[in-house]
Amino acid sequence: MKRRSFVNWGSAGLVTLCSGISVSLAAVLRFLTPSVFYEPPQDFKIGNPADFSYGPPTFLADQKIFVFRDREKGFAVANAVCTHLGCTVGYFQSDERFHCPCHGSVFSADGKVQHGPAPRPLEWFEVTMARDGQLRVDKDRTVPASYRLMV
Amino acid sequence: MNPIRDAWQSVFRRDPLSTDKGKSELVFLNVWLHIHPVKVKKENLKVKHTFYLGFITFFLFLILVTTGVALMFYYRPHPPQAYQDMKDLQFVVYLGSFLRNMHRWSAHGMVICVFLHMCRVFYTGSYKRPRQFNWVIGVVLFLLTLGLSFTGYLLPWDQLAFWAITVGTNIGSYAPFVGAHIRELLLGGHTVGEAALLRFYVLHVAVLPALLTLLTMVHFWRVRKDGGLSRPVWKLKEEKAEQLVTVGAPETNAVLAAVTASKEKTYGLMEVVTGKPIFETVGVEEEEDTVFSYPYAFFREGIALLVTVATVMAVSLFWKAPLEELANPAKTPNPAKAPWYFLGLQELVSHSALLGGVVVPGLIVLVLLAIPYIDPNPSRRPADRKWAIRAFTLFVVVNIVLIVIGTLFRGPGWALVPPWVHIVGAE
Amino acid sequence: MERRLPQFFFALSLIVLALMLGAVWQAASPTWKTYQQEFHRLEAVGEPNAAAKSDVLNADLVIRQDLLPGLQRVDRCTTCHLGAEDPTMKNAPQPFTFHANLGPHVPAKFGCTVCHGGQGLATDKQNAHGMVPFWQEPLLPKQYIRASCGRCHKEGEVPGVPELTEGRRLFETQGCRGCHKLNGVGGTIGPDITEEGAIRRFPEWLERHFLDPNTVSRNSPMPNFHFTKEQARALTFYMLSLTSEQMGSYYSSVRLIPSAGYGRELFIEKNCIACHSIGGVGAKGGPDLLGIAKQHSSGWLDEQLVNPQTIYPGSIMPAYDLDINARKAIVIFMASATAEDAQAILSQRSRPLTPRDAAIEAGKQSFARFGCVGCHGLELQGGVPNPNSQGGEVPSLLHASDDYTEEEVIKIIQNGKVPPVENVKGPAAPLYMPAWKGVLTEEDIHRIADYLWSLQKKKEAW
Repeated sequence: MKRRSFVNWGSAGLVTLCSGISVSLAAVLRFLTPSVFYEPPQDFKIGNPADFSYGPPTFLADQKIFVFRDREKGFAVANAVCTHLGCTVGYFQSDERFHCPCHGSVFSADGKVQHGPAPRPLEWFEVTMARDGQLRVDKDRTVPASYRLMV
Repeated sequence: MNPIRDAWQSVFRRDPLSTDKGKSELVFLNVWLHIHPVKVKKENLKVKHTFYLGFITFFLFLILVTTGVALMFYYRPHPPQAYQDMKDLQFVVYLGSFLRNMHRWSAHGMVICVFLHMCRVFYTGSYKRPRQFNWVIGVVLFLLTLGLSFTGYLLPWDQLAFWAITVGTNIGSYAPFVGAHIRELLLGGHTVGEAALLRFYVLHVAVLPALLTLLTMVHFWRVRKDGGLSRPVWKLKEEKAEQLVTVGAPETNAVLAAVTASKEKTYGLMEVVTGKPIFETVGVEEEEDTVFSYPYAFFREGIALLVTVATVMAVSLFWKAPLEELANPAKTPNPAKAPWYFLGLQELVSHSALLGGVVVPGLIVLVLLAIPYIDPNPSRRPADRKWAIRAFTLFVVVNIVLIVIGTLFRGPGWALVPPWVHIVGAE
Repeated sequence: MERRLPQFFFALSLIVLALMLGAVWQAASPTWKTYQQEFHRLEAVGEPNAAAKSDVLNADLVIRQDLLPGLQRVDRCTTCHLGAEDPTMKNAPQPFTFHANLGPHVPAKFGCTVCHGGQGLATDKQNAHGMVPFWQEPLLPKQYIRASCGRCHKEGEVPGVPELTEGRRLFETQGCRGCHKLNGVGGTIGPDITEEGAIRRFPEWLERHFLDPNTVSRNSPMPNFHFTKEQARALTFYMLSLTSEQMGSYYSSVRLIPSAGYGRELFIEKNCIACHSIGGVGAKGGPDLLGIAKQHSSGWLDEQLVNPQTIYPGSIMPAYDLDINARKAIVIFMASATAEDAQAILSQRSRPLTPRDAAIEAGKQSFARFGCVGCHGLELQGGVPNPNSQGGEVPSLLHASDDYTEEEVIKIIQNGKVPPVENVKGPAAPLYMPAWKGVLTEEDIHRIADYLWSLQKKKEAW
């Protein structure tokens, strides 16, 4: 067998093999990435604007969010999950702050850390108007604390 | 010192493949490949002798393990989530239906190929001395393959699965004394339910594959030690055939020819001690009848692997594995059929439960296991083994006919119905 | 062969690579992605500016699902039916059309398949619509969809679906239970229909069946009841609603739709007319209820029903144990109740009966409720065909006293009876008297016998 011709085909085979391996690896990674999640959805509707009062925020326990409604500026939705270790914070009307019961973190009304071990301010989620007039929250999209939805 | 070359050579420690030494070292220095001999006899490589069926069966097993592990990421062995997961694999998981199809068609393929491999080994008389026990291991591997297919059959938890396993375990329960106990052990209860699914799952993904792997290792090792793959020794020239001797055979008085040590060959320690390769049907082939495993054997094995993979992939792209409705213990499809490889058995059982379900299959397995020990004929030449070949062929044909009857000619109530009449489960 | 082996190997590798790429291509281009891209194009048309348009056009293509553990299902319909809750898509082509009149039944809480049928887990049209073998519940045809309301709303009325109430009424009065078991009560001659809604693939089959059983179920012993088209439709609706839906607590709590009709039933059941009047008609023990819903808020009325002592300490009105939907129903009834209603309720009340008459009346009710009328007829005339039985038909019961004593009849009801055959070589007669021992109480059986005996035609005196 002539060595030269063998080496050519051999390299070609090797290249094909490597392509095959890369395709397989990519396919395996995509295969293992879930296409659906058996969890509550990250993107959901919370109701009509009229259902929410001004003043202190409305707490939605199932989705763990606070819904703020401001007369001038409109709607904002804050994450009720503490950025320290994940406990659910509570909003107190008396000092207009969020307090975390686990390790004592305190956040101001715009989510900034005032006190305690929390490393980051509370997250604010994007709230938009859906086409049927309901408010729609997307937990996959965070927005700055100044974001408001004017209705 | 070139650091890259050093790094490369710390991984690949052999000489380059362009040298003979390199070709040898590729085999005996490599943990994955050193089951092969460094050099193989050309006769071993002939497709028409073995059809590479053993390799194909093994490659199908590798495909099954890979696709099986992938499927395990999305399957819960608990009814009814199991069925929902099958639907998810079909509709939602990326490549889910493709991988499931590959798994199912490889499974059917493996059952067929292991059977064909057994036939080939019989027809070429490769079970004869000194390879008798390897045949026994092979039969056990065959039974393990059927067991793997059977345990896997239940996992989709659809009507097909549920009732096939109900029928299958009921056939098993006909065994005297132990039948009912075995059924209870298998099912973890009295009927096919949650416990059965979990047990079948554990058997299917852990216990049986482990046993199969261990026995396959022994099976390959023995093939190697017994002198490598089967080859048609009766086709060697007459003079050479006369000098064929089997080491250790007490009847023959043939002189054991001493072979001069060759400079081109690597001898194992045991060979140096005895002066010749052990347990080998020693031919008087010259050196030029052997070739390096790399590239001759490996390329052929690679082609066998690629052909297997390509066939399974092509079939999986176009033919969907079946999934019927959710398992419903209250509703028996009519007819309820065991998996196809057990349909011959079910056909026998329909005539007589004890005889057909226990005695005949039991005898078949015992006879299969005993074949190498009850066959007195030392010759492997087909012309000398006419009756053995005829008997085995009859066995194969009867099996196939029974399975065909069970698949195509049995309709509701197990009545004989020609296959062109539409046979469906009665609603 | 040696020379060409590497080429062969390479060619095969290429084939395997091509097949791999084929599989990847097949997995990466499902039809739902095409539908989503189409929808985004439609949405983009309505966007005000280029930035918004491009946002929409480049949105991710994902499978959307409604997880409904309370209803034990997962619905992925909204993956393609993206416009279902979007009023701007009123005139969009399917699958993007807006779904009007959803009311509280939003997909996030109810999914789609609970009303429409189909296979929620699927993500391609054929499979999702259930038009495939091995899926029992394909999409319901449009005219039958309202029947699905009955799958959850099993008690009381369903506004807008009078067919369900009518169907249930027909079932109870025409004697279906005599041959068909429902929820464990009934005869064994025909199939158990407790899950009929869950297994019936084709509603049209059911309707044809009610119009004439033998056209769809050959040699069926079920007699032709000569239903009208409307009655057959009503019965079909009722059949379609017969499922044993497992539902979580949220769904159980909202099942009962409070309606004026249900409220009226409760008003009668609780005997409110014993103390109250409406528009002057009724009793004087408590206040008149005409227009009460205008005088007080619904919260006040609700509280009154929960615990009258809170509103009027010392009131003699008992605190009834009513759940919230029952109370709502009563309040709704109060909003529209008039003196005519009170009059009708008063006249419906039965006069006190003697014990014997009460027993006969109870027997008559049982006779209808357990379906005896189905074979023996509303007038006990019999006449339903029963091939190869002696006489060829179900006998009339009006002359039972000629052949049996009352004790013997009681035994027959308890243990059943297979009719003697006309031709012993022929097949067994399809209709027989089932054994009711485990199903009816001893009292019930005695009362039925009393009822029968009260209707016996006396033998002509010789």
